[in-house]
Amino acid sequence: MTQNAPDETLSLLTRLSQKPGVQSTLVLSRETGAIVRTSGLISNSSSVNPNSTLPAALDNAPEGYSNGRKEGGIHSAEDVARMVWSFINAAGSLVEGLDREDEVKLLRLRTKKNELVIVPDSKFLLVVIHDTPPA
Amino acid sequence: MQQRRDEIIAKRAKLAELKRQRELRQREFSASRQSIDATELVQPTPSRADSRRELESIISALVGESRPGSTAPGSPAGGKGSRPTSVISAGQLSSDNAEISSPTSNTPAPPVGAIQRLSIGPLTTVYETLSSPKPEILTYSKGIQTSEPWSPPKQRSFGSDSEGDESPTRAKTPRAAKRLSRRERERDEELRQNLRREIEEELKTLQQLGSDNMATASISQQSFPARTLTNEELNAVTSSEDFLDFVERSSKVIERALEQEYDILADYALGGMNGLDDDDDGYGTTGTKKGRRIKEIAQFWDERWSKKRMISDLGFSTKFPELVLASYTKNPSAPHDPDGLIQVWNLHMHDRPEYMFHAQSDILTAKFSPFHPNLIIGGAYSGQVLLWDTRAKSAPVQKTPLTGSGHTHPVYSLDIVGTQNANNIISCSTDGVVCGWTVDMLSQPQEYLELANPPPAKTEDMAPTCIAFPHADPTYFLAGTEEGAIYPCHRYDRAGAKAGVDARLAYRGHAAPVMSLDFHPARGMLDLGDLVLSASVDWSVKLWKVRPPAAAA
Repeated sequence: MTQNAPDETLSLLTRLSQKPGVQSTLVLSRETGAIVRTSGLISNSSSVNPNSTLPAALDNAPEGYSNGRKEGGIHSAEDVARMVWSFINAAGSLVEGLDREDEVKLLRLRTKKNELVIVPDSKFLLVVIHDTPPA
Repeated sequence: MQQRRDEIIAKRAKLAELKRQRELRQREFSASRQSIDATELVQPTPSRADSRRELESIISALVGESRPGSTAPGSPAGGKGSRPTSVISAGQLSSDNAEISSPTSNTPAPPVGAIQRLSIGPLTTVYETLSSPKPEILTYSKGIQTSEPWSPPKQRSFGSDSEGDESPTRAKTPRAAKRLSRRERERDEELRQNLRREIEEELKTLQQLGSDNMATASISQQSFPARTLTNEELNAVTSSEDFLDFVERSSKVIERALEQEYDILADYALGGMNGLDDDDDGYGTTGTKKGRRIKEIAQFWDERWSKKRMISDLGFSTKFPELVLASYTKNPSAPHDPDGLIQVWNLHMHDRPEYMFHAQSDILTAKFSPFHPNLIIGGAYSGQVLLWDTRAKSAPVQKTPLTGSGHTHPVYSLDIVGTQNANNIISCSTDGVVCGWTVDMLSQPQEYLELANPPPAKTEDMAPTCIAFPHADPTYFLAGTEEGAIYPCHRYDRAGAKAGVDARLAYRGHAAPVMSLDFHPARGMLDLGDLVLSASVDWSVKLWKVRPPAAAA
């Protein structure tokens, strides 16, 4: 059962990341913002490589996206993780400020180009960036 | 010769004196009984071993004749061998006591009768007072066995987040928690002190810099390397049950979020021109010629499980209108997959079922229980009636027996009748058996009824393929058969009719097996509860008005 668990999570996350329109997915630890799983984003340090759910994508990444890494096309996983983490901390403090016993359940950030959906949990965060429907 | 005798006498006196002192001590310590510390036994000292050898040589010199006596300590020592050694080990503290006690262990040796004194319990207490070595023996603690699993050294140099990194990951795996040794606790202390120092430094830099932006930048830079988890921590985290639960729940939420077709930010003024170009509507000019077409809005299909399975039943949930369940028969090209499958679909999530349940034989009918929001009841080809719970795992939580007391033929139809507090599951199988069960106990039927063809029939066997109850009356039902006739039946004996098929009436209209019956729900102003729809393999659906049960034919 414990051996199935990582496979199942891997398959679920892979499915999610392969849905049409999904640009990238990210699983972070809630307390620290450490990256647990990522796909669709490139990361610079080699230790983060094993995190990726799509190692094939990661192999292509240096060739395809290396130019865009710092130019605002595709961001590195660490940058996105850090920014999302500080964002959700700010959202959490807002909600707690409004009502002490309340907590953030879902964050959807719609921008002109895409949408960020963040599902927080007591221990983890699942972040998915996907394209907005053309309509 | 004389010298030797003198020697012997002197030594005997010495031994007697020692014996007296030993007895004195025995009386003192017989009151205090303490358990023997096992560790003490493990550590004999070499110095004592030397003196023991010396003493043994003395004894052998003394008592050459009673050689068998000297070996006797071997036999009680075999049984109570711990005592001499423990005497010796306890004696390590003070040489005086040791010298006294070690000969005392040997004094019983020469006389054969004294051997029995070794068996006296108080002998064990001699050394109990000398138990101060206990604090020393703590070095034998259990924790030191393992190597350091958890916090690799490179983590120590990181900033304040490293402590936070370690504690959640440590909490996540029970394996790591068990391996906490003193060494780790010491390292924890070190880390905490390091962290305190670093936090103080951070605060100092905060105050010095005096601007939020700089502070956050420095903090984020400091904590940035701590973002990446090492491989072991990563594996530990991802293998945890918490992580799996989290991923299942949150991926469902995200899939539902991604599913939306309706764009809430739609600006109709802007996009108005494009709306007319929709061609999948059929409402345009071409549509009116052919009439309104049915438009497909969703297709529910799961990659892994839905292949090549026939759908045998569909049902909506009474409690959650967006949940629909579909029951499937077996996949002939996948013999190792479970034969029967039930998938509960959410209208907002088209390619992943909310829940999935399986069974060992094909499921022919299934429905949500109207009285229990979490239960699903299904009938199988093997004749079993199965009960699943959405809160439990995917296997049935209850099954009816396959023996003669239950059904032995496929159960093609079932229904749940009664009220919230008193409800029964009624199931019918193709051999004419109708059973009633309670939801709590599916191990035995509460009712057993056999339906037989009424007299003007070639055979008595009736094969009901579907049953239906009117909404107002749980004691009377209609059964549709393989021949195409529909018979009213009573569950219980009454004044007007016996239990079983009511022979006075039969609704014959279909020429082929009747696959489904449904009564009109008795809601609203008009009571249309006597209208029945029947669908049959002869490609027809008929609407009937049935006579009330009490009326005679």
